[in-house]
Amino acid sequence: MSDKRIVYVCFGTGCLANGSMDVFNEIEKNIENLNLDISVKTIIKSTGCNGLCEKGPVVKIEPDGISYFKVKASDAEEIVKKTILKGEVINRLLYYEATLKRKVKSHKESEFFKRQMKIALRNIGEIDPGNIEDYKINMGYLALDKALFHMSRNDIISEISKSGLRGRGGAGFPTGSKWKQCDSIVSFPKYVVCNGDEGDPGAFMDRSIMEGDPHSVIEGMIICAYAIGAKEGFTYIRDEYSLAIKNMTNAITEARKNGYLGDNILGSSFSFDIQIVRGGGAFVCGESTALMSSIEGSTGEPRAKYIHSVEKGLWGQPTVLNNVETWANVPVIIENGSDWFNAIGTKKSKGTKVFSLVGKVKNTGLVEVPMGTSLRELIYDIGGGIIGDRKFKGVQIGGPSGGCIPEEYLDLSVDYDSLKEADSMMGSGGMIVMDDRTCMVDVARYYLNFLSEESCGKCVPCREGIKRMLEIINDICEGRGKEEDIENLKAISETVSEASLCGLGKSAPNPVISTLKYFSEEYWEHILNKRCRAGVCKELTTYYIGSDSCRGCGLCKKNCPSEAILGEAKKVHFIDGNKCSKCGSCINTCNFDAVKVK
Amino acid sequence: MRVIIDDKECEASYGEYILQVAKRNDIYIPTLCHSDALPGEGSCRLCVVEVIDKGQSTVVTSCIYPITKEITVVTNSKKITNMRKTIVMLLSARVPNNKVVRKLREEFGISEVTRFRLEELEQCVLCGLCVKACEKLGSSAIAAVNRGVTKKISTPYDEPSLVCIGCGACAYVCPTNAITISEDNGSRKIWGKEFELIKCESCGEFYASKEEVEFSAKKLNEKSIQHNCRKCRKKVNAEKFKEIFADVK
Repeated sequence: MSDKRIVYVCFGTGCLANGSMDVFNEIEKNIENLNLDISVKTIIKSTGCNGLCEKGPVVKIEPDGISYFKVKASDAEEIVKKTILKGEVINRLLYYEATLKRKVKSHKESEFFKRQMKIALRNIGEIDPGNIEDYKINMGYLALDKALFHMSRNDIISEISKSGLRGRGGAGFPTGSKWKQCDSIVSFPKYVVCNGDEGDPGAFMDRSIMEGDPHSVIEGMIICAYAIGAKEGFTYIRDEYSLAIKNMTNAITEARKNGYLGDNILGSSFSFDIQIVRGGGAFVCGESTALMSSIEGSTGEPRAKYIHSVEKGLWGQPTVLNNVETWANVPVIIENGSDWFNAIGTKKSKGTKVFSLVGKVKNTGLVEVPMGTSLRELIYDIGGGIIGDRKFKGVQIGGPSGGCIPEEYLDLSVDYDSLKEADSMMGSGGMIVMDDRTCMVDVARYYLNFLSEESCGKCVPCREGIKRMLEIINDICEGRGKEEDIENLKAISETVSEASLCGLGKSAPNPVISTLKYFSEEYWEHILNKRCRAGVCKELTTYYIGSDSCRGCGLCKKNCPSEAILGEAKKVHFIDGNKCSKCGSCINTCNFDAVKVK
Repeated sequence: MRVIIDDKECEASYGEYILQVAKRNDIYIPTLCHSDALPGEGSCRLCVVEVIDKGQSTVVTSCIYPITKEITVVTNSKKITNMRKTIVMLLSARVPNNKVVRKLREEFGISEVTRFRLEELEQCVLCGLCVKACEKLGSSAIAAVNRGVTKKISTPYDEPSLVCIGCGACAYVCPTNAITISEDNGSRKIWGKEFELIKCESCGEFYASKEEVEFSAKKLNEKSIQHNCRKCRKKVNAEKFKEIFADVK
């Protein structure tokens, strides 16, 4: 037993929302009352870093390696008196590991954690993002020192090229090539930009990195700036990410104070500084040219990329733009060398990728795995399988630009090229797991609806095409679908994906194309039989209770908001179709699968 | 440098746009949002063509694609024609009663759009030429408002603009005649703002708004303003030329 303990209270967005601030204050108060010699540290952990954000607030006690979940302020006294003072474990607050069927002392014993490999998320949950010393203790800014004083500018670029690092924002362009092209153009000033406009529904890895380990992003940017000869950098963060903006701002100030930013960095002749630009929340501003236009103060609309940003980017000058996760990988590659990084992953996709695993999966959260990990491992081993052990239907990868992948592809290796072949894409790494209660036509509808509002509206195929595809799909979902609609959808999809101006439009039909490809029978069922098998599209759904499986427990009746379920206790219940609002609460609550879709 | 457009060898200078070169060589590429006077917006996408470089074909927008190497361009492949048809269909669904778009629809042999719910009164295709024209002239009175399906062109807060000079350049460049400009009895109305018109000193016709004349005088740094309409200005200039070159035979 150690006499000095550090208490880590998670200050990630999820934990904060669940009251971790109160937990922290309460623990601090109790420690003060007892006058103990213990340093209490706050640390801002990614809300999903251990996949247990929904089980927050999380409190970790080191060096004992104890993790407590769903901690309340009222637990503080017990934690201090038992665990901190005596090293006793409070069983009630431990994490239940479903695969082991027992509680585990530390989350690190869980399958969820053991199967991951953390590179971009290496420090998250381990350091206090508000304290630059914490980052420095964990090898922070060593790579910068190495780059500035022990490597030539060409060495740095070739090291990044050799590592095989590809852009983590979605398209997967080789980062080294980008830097090299920008470096080869003799036109100054040059700019370095960090894209922190993460907007995919369900994705939050960039947010977590900026919140939990801002210095790794800053260090990556400084190294690139030195390599390409830039003096100014911009970090574009969507304004909704208030904690990310706060932590990045603080980290930049700290970095300046410590001589990592500003004039003559670490006493060298190299000067560079970073400015934060807050985005207004338009999804399209995550597109690189729209983002640059927004930084320049114009409307966030994309331009054609016939001349690349490395040549003419921000204010028409050579610009390297990478996403947050890409930047966070840079210092480790420089520090550990390209061979180390190159050995991880598949032939064409190197390193790891962070996914935000969400939806109908037991363990939701951020997971970082080597490229090439199978979807099955991600969803079943790390994710723990489908909630309620229902049937897996599909997984949506890559946000609105991605596609839905069906069960037969569960063994697909997750890397840039395999996903593209399967009509999906890596995107920023959103991964939404869907079960048999998900309607795939409705999924396509959801993304089209999102894109119809988020398209910048500049070019005809994207703006009008998405609008009309949404109209068709709305009709299909509401029972007005026509047979020729499938061909209409395909024709519009083709034009939108080829003739649109930017990446948003070009990938906008992906959710439609992939669901049409893998789940076409659901479309036909909607159109011809006016039936939604998942019971999602209200106009096409009629619920009934199967007389052979209903036990008459009354749970559905109790939960029905429309009082549409009738029946006596222990006798078969039935649904009054006139009263039923088709909310689906009965089918979701029934423990015997007695509620069915006609 | 040499480029091949639809099997025809054409001469192009570095950085020239495909559309420019095609036009010069009498190769027809349909356009809607293109204006020779303004930089290409690439918003209507009607001018899409296929560029074949090292055996790989890419769909590009010819009005803004700069020629930087010797390439082959195909302007009328089946793929391109189909895409243009879908684009015209989408445009027709947006502005079903617009004459210009209807003509395009006929040109592409597309039947009337019946699949979608249509907005009978809409005339604007949101190409953005009006905004560019206004910006280039120096007023920036109108802009694109909102994004996605709710996008529209308007003045700030849909109120009469403080900086609009009523010159009508927006209406002049509009390819679908979607901007209403009405003139009546010495006054002009556009974007919800009314302008007093000035008479031409020579012919006595109303010809420009007071704000427009003052704006251009200021821009040209002229002290005394000559109030002449376009026709009369031409006449006056011609007279001047005659005087200057009176001796030349």
